[in-house]
Amino acid sequence: MHEAAIISQLHDQVVTSIRARMPDEGQEDPEPIGRLTTVHIRVGELEHLDDEVMNTVWKAYTMDTFLHGADLEIMTIPLSVACRQCAHEYVPEDPAILLCPQCHHIDPDVKQGTGIILHSIVIDEPVEETA
Amino acid sequence: MEIKIIENVLKLNDEVAQQNRHQLREAGVTCINLIGSPGSGKTALLERTLEMLGSDLAVGVLAGDMATTRDANRLAAFTPHVVQINVGKSCHLDANQVRQGMNSLDLTALDLLIIENVGNLICPVGFDLGQDVKVGMFSATEGDDKPAKHPYLVLEAGLLLLNKIDLLPHVPFDVTRFREDVGSIREGIPLIELSAVTGDGLDVWCTWLRRLCNERPSTDKQPCCEPGAVL
Repeated sequence: MHEAAIISQLHDQVVTSIRARMPDEGQEDPEPIGRLTTVHIRVGELEHLDDEVMNTVWKAYTMDTFLHGADLEIMTIPLSVACRQCAHEYVPEDPAILLCPQCHHIDPDVKQGTGIILHSIVIDEPVEETA
Repeated sequence: MEIKIIENVLKLNDEVAQQNRHQLREAGVTCINLIGSPGSGKTALLERTLEMLGSDLAVGVLAGDMATTRDANRLAAFTPHVVQINVGKSCHLDANQVRQGMNSLDLTALDLLIIENVGNLICPVGFDLGQDVKVGMFSATEGDDKPAKHPYLVLEAGLLLLNKIDLLPHVPFDVTRFREDVGSIREGIPLIELSAVTGDGLDVWCTWLRRLCNERPSTDKQPCCEPGAVL
């Protein structure tokens, strides 16, 4: 499953990002910086990743880990193409058909709509109890 | 508290892929990543390819499969430089697996490394392995609609192959529609129609491989053949 491989990499990247921000990073039992609530990612339309499957796999993958309970928020990066023949920039109606509406050549330079980006993570900072 | 990160999720894979690419270029080895469906005839094509290239090129193969060493066993009859990579439940090869496979080969003895990816038209496309060119493979028995259904492979590949053309009279496969669909996704992408069984088209394929090896890249970042520029 394509989504599982991506989630596996995302999981490792989120863990690395959190550990790098722990004040006592590198120690055996570092102090948590708070509870992870949301992971925001951006996914290109051409990556052919299904949001629902991504979320299901994310929940399964983070179960029994300290990321458990964090939501995965996915924003789609829409496809945008520039024609190499006439330089016209356009948004294809169908990602499978990249015909330039201006010169009718099919010589696309994909400007946007690929890639999977870990954009940000949201952490609930622990509230210090006052006496 | 929102912490901005903005990192490619495949960053770790891409870093290893770039190391692979650098190591291969240092050793003077050209590398292709062969991507096709299960049963499209990738291994059969490699058997015939190794046979035809003979001593022209020293070819190594990394064969990716979920399980068994059957592909490597078949190819070992044609080259001593074969490594089987079993990916278990994964559906594609990643750069680290290729790195481990490369470590089992004597790269200085090779001109060309062919990575036979796990049979799959979707997942392998998104994972850089360190190759110079991705080659997308379709076959007559899969149906003529596969390029239209898998446009990302057509967009990413430097060359497409249509295998099993000897079966065209016997299967409902509209070659004209297939070519039109390919052209509607990537005008001008080179396409070689061949049969690993009868040998039709294999001379064109082997000529393409020889030419690719003769146009070795001088940097890590530029592919050694621009799509559409070879045939």
